[in-house]
Amino acid sequence: MTAILALIVIFPLLGFLILSVFGGRLPRHIIPWIGAGSAGISALLTIILGISFLTSSSPGGVVVATLWQWINTGGLTASIALRLDALSLVFIFVITFIGFLIHVYSVEFMADDEGYSRFFSYMNLFVFSMLILVLADNLLLLYLGWEGVGLCSYLLIGFWYREPANGYAARKAFIITRIGDTAMIIGLFLLFLHLHTLNINELMQQATLNWEPGSSLATWAALLLLGGALGKSAQLPLQTWLPDAMAGPSPVSALIHAATMVTAGVYLIARTHVLFSLAPAVQATVAVIGALTLLLAGFSALTQHDLKRALAYSTVSQIGYMFLALGVGAWSAGIFHFMVHAFFKALLFLAAGVIIVVLNEEHDIFKMGGLRKKIPGVFWTFLIGAASLAALPLVTAGFYSKDQILWYAWSAGNGGPWLWLAGITGAFLTSLYTFRLVFIVFFGKTGTEPTKLPGRFMVIPMVILAAFSLVAGFIELPHSMGHLQLFSGFMSAVLPGVVMANETIPELLFQAVATVISLAGICLAYLIYLKRPALADAINHSRISRFFCDGWGFDRVYDTLFVKPIVWLAEIDKNDFTDIFNTAIASVVIIFNRALNLTQNGKLRWYVMGLALGIVFILSILMNL
Amino acid sequence: MILLFLILILLAGGALAWITGKWSDLLPRVISLVALSLDLILLIAIYNGQSAAGNNSWWIDYRVDWIPTFGISLHLAIDGLSMLLLALTMFIGLVSVLISWKEIHEKTGFFHFNILWILSGISGVFLSMDLFLFYFFWELMLVPMYFLISIWGHENRIYASYKFFIYTQASGLLMFLSIIALYFIHGRSTGIYTFDYIQLLGTTMAPTVAFILMSGFLAAFLVKLPVVPFHNWLPDAHTEAPTAGSVILAGLLLKTGAYGLIRFVLPLFPEASVTFAPAGMILGVIGILYGAKLAFAQTDLKRLVAYTSVSHMGFVILGVYAFNEIAMQGVVVQMIAHALSTGALFILVGQLYERIHTRDMDRMGGLWKQVPVMGATGIIFAMASLGLPGLGNFIAEFLILAGTFQASILMTCLACAGLVAATIYSLRIVQKVFLGKEKTTWNISDLSVREKIISASLVITLVYLGMLPQQVIDTAKPSVLKSLNSIEQTRSQNTGKPTGEASIWCDEINTDGASAKYLKCKLW
Amino acid sequence: MVREDFICLTPLMIIAGAPVLMMLVVAVIRSYKVIYGLSLSGFILAFLSIFFLLPVIPHATGQLFIFDGFTILFFVIIILACLLITILSDGYLVYQESEKEEYFIILYTSALGALVLAAASNFVTLFLGLEMLSISLYVLIAYRRSRDNSIEAAVKYLILASGASGFLLFGMGLIYVDTGSLEFTKIVMALQSSGFSSPLLLTGFSMMVVGIGFKLALVPFHMWTPDVYHGAPVPVATFIATVSKGAVIAVLLRFFYAIEGFRNHNFILLITVVSILSMFIGNLLAIRQQNLKRILAYSSISNMGYLVITLLIGTKGGIDAAVFYIASYIITTIGAFGVITLLSDRDNEAEKLKSYTGLFWKRPWVAIVLTLTMLSLAGIPITSGFLAKFYVILEGLNAGLLVLVISLIINSVIGLYYYLRVVTILFSPPNDVKFPAISPAGRLVLFIVTLGILWLGIFPEWFFNLIARF
Repeated sequence: MTAILALIVIFPLLGFLILSVFGGRLPRHIIPWIGAGSAGISALLTIILGISFLTSSSPGGVVVATLWQWINTGGLTASIALRLDALSLVFIFVITFIGFLIHVYSVEFMADDEGYSRFFSYMNLFVFSMLILVLADNLLLLYLGWEGVGLCSYLLIGFWYREPANGYAARKAFIITRIGDTAMIIGLFLLFLHLHTLNINELMQQATLNWEPGSSLATWAALLLLGGALGKSAQLPLQTWLPDAMAGPSPVSALIHAATMVTAGVYLIARTHVLFSLAPAVQATVAVIGALTLLLAGFSALTQHDLKRALAYSTVSQIGYMFLALGVGAWSAGIFHFMVHAFFKALLFLAAGVIIVVLNEEHDIFKMGGLRKKIPGVFWTFLIGAASLAALPLVTAGFYSKDQILWYAWSAGNGGPWLWLAGITGAFLTSLYTFRLVFIVFFGKTGTEPTKLPGRFMVIPMVILAAFSLVAGFIELPHSMGHLQLFSGFMSAVLPGVVMANETIPELLFQAVATVISLAGICLAYLIYLKRPALADAINHSRISRFFCDGWGFDRVYDTLFVKPIVWLAEIDKNDFTDIFNTAIASVVIIFNRALNLTQNGKLRWYVMGLALGIVFILSILMNL
Repeated sequence: MILLFLILILLAGGALAWITGKWSDLLPRVISLVALSLDLILLIAIYNGQSAAGNNSWWIDYRVDWIPTFGISLHLAIDGLSMLLLALTMFIGLVSVLISWKEIHEKTGFFHFNILWILSGISGVFLSMDLFLFYFFWELMLVPMYFLISIWGHENRIYASYKFFIYTQASGLLMFLSIIALYFIHGRSTGIYTFDYIQLLGTTMAPTVAFILMSGFLAAFLVKLPVVPFHNWLPDAHTEAPTAGSVILAGLLLKTGAYGLIRFVLPLFPEASVTFAPAGMILGVIGILYGAKLAFAQTDLKRLVAYTSVSHMGFVILGVYAFNEIAMQGVVVQMIAHALSTGALFILVGQLYERIHTRDMDRMGGLWKQVPVMGATGIIFAMASLGLPGLGNFIAEFLILAGTFQASILMTCLACAGLVAATIYSLRIVQKVFLGKEKTTWNISDLSVREKIISASLVITLVYLGMLPQQVIDTAKPSVLKSLNSIEQTRSQNTGKPTGEASIWCDEINTDGASAKYLKCKLW
Repeated sequence: MVREDFICLTPLMIIAGAPVLMMLVVAVIRSYKVIYGLSLSGFILAFLSIFFLLPVIPHATGQLFIFDGFTILFFVIIILACLLITILSDGYLVYQESEKEEYFIILYTSALGALVLAAASNFVTLFLGLEMLSISLYVLIAYRRSRDNSIEAAVKYLILASGASGFLLFGMGLIYVDTGSLEFTKIVMALQSSGFSSPLLLTGFSMMVVGIGFKLALVPFHMWTPDVYHGAPVPVATFIATVSKGAVIAVLLRFFYAIEGFRNHNFILLITVVSILSMFIGNLLAIRQQNLKRILAYSSISNMGYLVITLLIGTKGGIDAAVFYIASYIITTIGAFGVITLLSDRDNEAEKLKSYTGLFWKRPWVAIVLTLTMLSLAGIPITSGFLAKFYVILEGLNAGLLVLVISLIINSVIGLYYYLRVVTILFSPPNDVKFPAISPAGRLVLFIVTLGILWLGIFPEWFFNLIARF
């Protein structure tokens, strides 16, 4: 199993290396075979590995593949070692499987792009880095993957590099996540300083042994790691980069900025859940940040004009749910939502990609419309994704995952009515903005005419994802409906169960409320956007709408607070003021030189006078005058 | 003897290159390559021989009298740290010769003479175990460097070369003063007048005296490193030098400063170093942040890269004064990684300049389309510069910061801000040069085979250093521990009263001139 | 006259006899070649005769001369320098239309003056030597009277130097009045009993300082230097910069160490101030100078500033450092002036810095020699100048002269700038100035100088041993 584990990671790396070294010289039809092929092999191996993992004698077991010693100095040791357990299995499944589907989709999507091999090499590198991230057995290696995915995200957002705006978005993404990463690496230093190891398993053991719950060190460590998680997962206050990141090609948005990378923060928190349990204050913060983010982003998603930006805000909002789950201690529920979200959000982005392509790079939803008839395949898959996102009861996977979170937000130890209220409001917003998109894009008057139809390489992955978006929820059914706990049972080896505190109100009631809310959102969307376009127009032009649309003005605030001062500082001192001292010394020397030059005037009488003065000078010194 | 050969081969190679330069442009290049390869082979032989023996003291120790009147000897020795830096010297030397293959058409003989003599001076610095000899080599490398800048440099080369020479010379002289003072202090307390490093170790002196003497050494090393605010020579020198010059400056010359700190300052003045440590760390942080800020502001690509050196070298001094093994190992790795990554960036600038004859980033942009391979390497080197894990610089910076964290949390956190700053300026390079719209339509060719070999070798070494740094760490370990040992002892003594006789500077040993000396002391 | 006296005086007698012989020859036939040959052989002979001195030293000849190791060292230095200058002069005199022969005669008389100074142990010989030196120089400076500045320079030198000599003489007189003797040893004895308290004595010393300071071109008696260097023919300027200064330093060191002036705090103050002023003013004046001869003139002012530090050291080491320094300085300066001499042609002396632009690319070897001399003056390793400075700094620190040493270091940095300027010009892209070819003899001189600079700079041990032995 260790060999398979290593191979899963190695294939995408191999793909990346081949494509980046020989990419320019390979025939064009070979490139997808290498690019998508390597991801496919990884996906295949993952399934084999998953099966053998599930069927092995100890299902809660762990597979460790230590490749080599990385660093060993002064007590600091780190290995290049992969560690597979239930949590990482879920992640690598999502990464390789969805990754593979998106690679296949890209074969057609990117077919005419001049950077064909470049695209696949980046994508492969991304899959590799993401796998490293979730398989790392120590935090340093995790950080390697963490930064690696950041790099790929940067490269892919700016993939169409000719457009300066894309470059700007790419840099924004990299820099903002890097801010979080820096907090995270300080967290690593803190952990190493006090617990003398970076191995995640040992760290968790040492933390429980050495740190009291609520101790300040644990709080700091958790807080710093949270910093990293916030950056990567685009949560408040570091959420501003994700909507801009949509500048990248749609498969990138689907894979990186929806399904996998942005959930790295969720993974990190789940992975170090011991630490967060030891720091209840931080855990509560996670929940609050999640709740706030999901509301904030929900409102923003509601007002977007750009299809992908709307989906991006939706992603931010959904990750907010995951954070909420983690924050209230429903670890497994958070991961479950991650998985389900990966399916339907990837699907939505892929569908959005198709829409944009067939409409010739049209992003504005108000210029779309009536596409239901033109591209029915896309409509149906999009509708399934949207339904799942809007948590349409019973039939969609999103319902089961989100319902679980809402239930725990109220009932879990760290939960409470306020968090639940935020969640349920968010749920309403979700179904509202989701179906706003559906109604505007697919119904109503025909906007831009599609010029072409998607091929099978694009459709098949969408169909598969659509299927998963529907059925994936059935592996974890609520207590009130079937009480199937395949997923959380599987997770229980790694993540602790939920501590319940508030079970007085029956779960079924919550489900009923959620159902109503979800349906109400859809109805409202129908009413406003399909029946009363005038109202929709008025909403669109309201100031508050624009405020939401701009992401609550965070960008402007950051711009004034950080960007402008830094640029100003750089501009005023471009030539390095410390150079003045050199110039000053040089000037003084020159001044002396000029003055002394006056004495060397070539006049004999002057020299004689100098001689005479010299004598006076000598006499005065020697005679002690 | 083999150590002396290392230096002599370069000196002789340089002379030969100069002479043969009259007849052919090719001969000097080939001779330089041969001389450097020969040295590299010798080093590998030494390394392999050592691995078998595996002891912790000096691997080879060679000593003959030079000027016995003053206790000056030709004392060369090699250990892990020297080994690494020498190997780096030869590697960077080879790269410098290769990158100059097409860039330098004029006066090739003299050019290679200068290159090899700089390298021999640098090798001498890394090998000298006699302080006088050390200073000798320290100065020796300046003159050919000065020529390199002032003859083959860019527009403003004369100014830059003056600044470089005068800055380093001035600071070097202060160190020289300290060396001589140390010589006397040691001589007066033990009766042995010598410049020998090993004998001078453990010289006891009053804390103030030690601090003053250390300041002299620091002057030289901090200027060379360089540490803000003594860095002004660097951007000018780096910018104006020819590519090979910039690569050697950034890759090797700066490292002599770091080497000096580790090899000389800490072991010779442990107590004073402990006193200075907080200031040193603050200087490091200032360097990191201020260097990054200036780098961000530049529009001249080469100048930008030059300022990143200032920023990266801030990590070095930060790590040195953290006084622990992790940080110190980080410093060693940083010395190598920075040499490779910044050298690579300078090479990139050189390659661009050869093609489009400008260093102004405002005139670049969108070059990726024309030169994708160059763009790809450019991104890799920019990533190395911002400390992307997997490349050598990350290991270096991580170790330094992890070590520093044990010494000062505040400093580490501030230094970490440098990581973000590095991201900002590194991405700016990539964006301004390769991405975006084309400002001018250049018609240029991508990397040639020779250039690809250079870039690939740098990428591979960077990745190697990033993924398998353990060999470097193991090699440097004894030296690092040696350097830290004295500090540890000082700390364990808990800064009690110094055991040695407090010899005040004016204290007179010659009874003859006592009264006169007394008078002088009163006067001054 | 005992046998030892005779042996000891041999070099002096050879140097004194040679011009007489030459005058006789000139009277008979005016053959430049013969005279040149005679003057060469005279110096060589004098140099060889020094070996006969070795067994008999130290020896005092009456009350006038002292022949010890110190004297011998300076004899060697002076005679060798004279030899090199003679060869250089030969190349230069080619452009002199007539009356070339007398040049060597006067060179000899001035060399004699220098030797007398180096061996002087008495005010009489001191003054005699100094005047012999000075008066010969008046003539030498004006020797190429067709040149614009020659006469002017000579007159300036004549007036100022005779004034300075007057002060020197006056000072000697005052000291004689106070101590009753002209002999160094007796004066020292007198001083030991009475100290430096007497105002008469101090005035006397002050007056002497004027005379000596003038010769060494120490601030504040330095103003003549650039004008005279500029106006004098290059070999003569070389002579003034090297032999004349070396000889004066010799007698100054001897006298100052004899009276142990480094113990007197007035003297310490005086030397310190003079030294620091010389360093700074010399260097500061040089930094923007465009004329190489004037640069070297200013450089000599600051170099003498460095050198007088050794007066205050007050140990054998101080003297050794001084000897090494002056030796290094002389050989370096001969090198620098030698290049100027050899590149001068009939109409122009190669004194303008601009004309050297790109010399390295046209005449690499000459440029390398000039570069080396500049680096040596700046004190960069592998040149003798580095070790000379090192020696002075070493002994200076040993004696606790911190202020002077630091000031030396600061000035090394300032000085570096204009030495580098010269070097930079040598290595700039070439211009179209044509320089004359260099004769084999000239090359030999440059070769010897280069060898000397490098040899002293890399393997100085033998020279240190030599100095230490004497």
